[in-house]
Amino acid sequence: MQTLRRVLVALGAAGLAALFLRLRGSGGTPPRHGGWRQIPLTELEDGDGEEPAEPGVGSGAEPVGPE
Amino acid sequence: MIGPARGPDDGHGLRIVLIGLGAVGVGVARHLLGQPGTQVESILVLARDARAITRTEGMSAAVSLRPIRGARIPEGTDVVVIARPDDATALASDALRAGAHVVAALDDPHHVRHLLALDRTARASALSVAVGATMAPGLSCVLARYGACFLDEVHQIHVASYGTGGPACARRHHAALSSIATDWYDGAWRRRRGGTGRELMWFPQPVGAADCYRGRLVDPVLLAPAFPGVRRVSARMAATRRDRLSAPLPMLRRPHPEGLVGAARVELRGTRDGAHETLIFGSVGRPALVAGTVAGVAAVWAANGRLARAGAAGLAEMVDEPGAFLREVAQRGITLSAFEGAIG
Repeated sequence: MQTLRRVLVALGAAGLAALFLRLRGSGGTPPRHGGWRQIPLTELEDGDGEEPAEPGVGSGAEPVGPE
Repeated sequence: MIGPARGPDDGHGLRIVLIGLGAVGVGVARHLLGQPGTQVESILVLARDARAITRTEGMSAAVSLRPIRGARIPEGTDVVVIARPDDATALASDALRAGAHVVAALDDPHHVRHLLALDRTARASALSVAVGATMAPGLSCVLARYGACFLDEVHQIHVASYGTGGPACARRHHAALSSIATDWYDGAWRRRRGGTGRELMWFPQPVGAADCYRGRLVDPVLLAPAFPGVRRVSARMAATRRDRLSAPLPMLRRPHPEGLVGAARVELRGTRDGAHETLIFGSVGRPALVAGTVAGVAAVWAANGRLARAGAAGLAEMVDEPGAFLREVAQRGITLSAFEGAIG
């Protein structure tokens, strides 16, 4: 009985430790300055003075990525 | 540009088959019927439940509904929009046989991979299968393509999403958090456990900051081939601590009929004029509405032969005029934003 109790206590402690590890986090770094700016319609142009990058040529006949 | 370009130029309006009339399907129908300058001759809705017809109330008489069981894609259809995951590949194959382009508003990696496998068939028919036409992937792919226009080289692309669309989307996101995530890392696929890789992401307001984690998300599969030479592509999804704890369990309650606010964010790192550059674009809105709009715009582009190539691919490959595509999306009330400032 005592062994069973010890096992249960050990499992509980391990579960709590796992829960703590799963939920904890170091957080992130918020932006120091700046913010979001809505893009006006007039700005949504293709090749507006900038040299566009070469578009992708595609994946060929084979599907991409692992299952 | 690809063919066959049909629709208004050929004297008839667009003939569209819409598969599924959930939150995204309704968004697609509303977009197509409310699109100025687009003549929609008919929208045939194939739905599992005949009661779905109630969702088309108030729409044009051009919308008709048929049960999906045993249905075939009619000859003369211009585009088939798939907004329902069941049998998506079979329906897309049927659409290609009927000579129709396909736009799939699906984001499940399993379905996306099978749809991408139709590439050869679609190329042979000079038809396009636009895969992953939702908010993320979809809008995120076009934003990535748009951002790439401002860089000489794209080295890294990191996508993050917040919120869900309809119930099917909510269930998939719930499962994604406890499944294996796949990232493109230094030229190879890397598998990581879902629910890990916590990162605080900043979305456009009103969403703001949210912790995001890896999950079984399909964005890297669609983005990596679209940007040859890209070193890293990752995707993360916002989740709360409760989401992470309950991820391995069945959903504890029924998902909402439609999610509320959602957001997507794309970060590109690369070089311009020899200097390192980071560009961040984002969008905020109801995910089902955004997905419906993106799929609707893609459907009209496909029918008019404006997609970049035949075959099956994501929108980052299919759209080579991202500014024009995004302008059409923004004209429908979807907010697009760029982050300006310094991070970290």
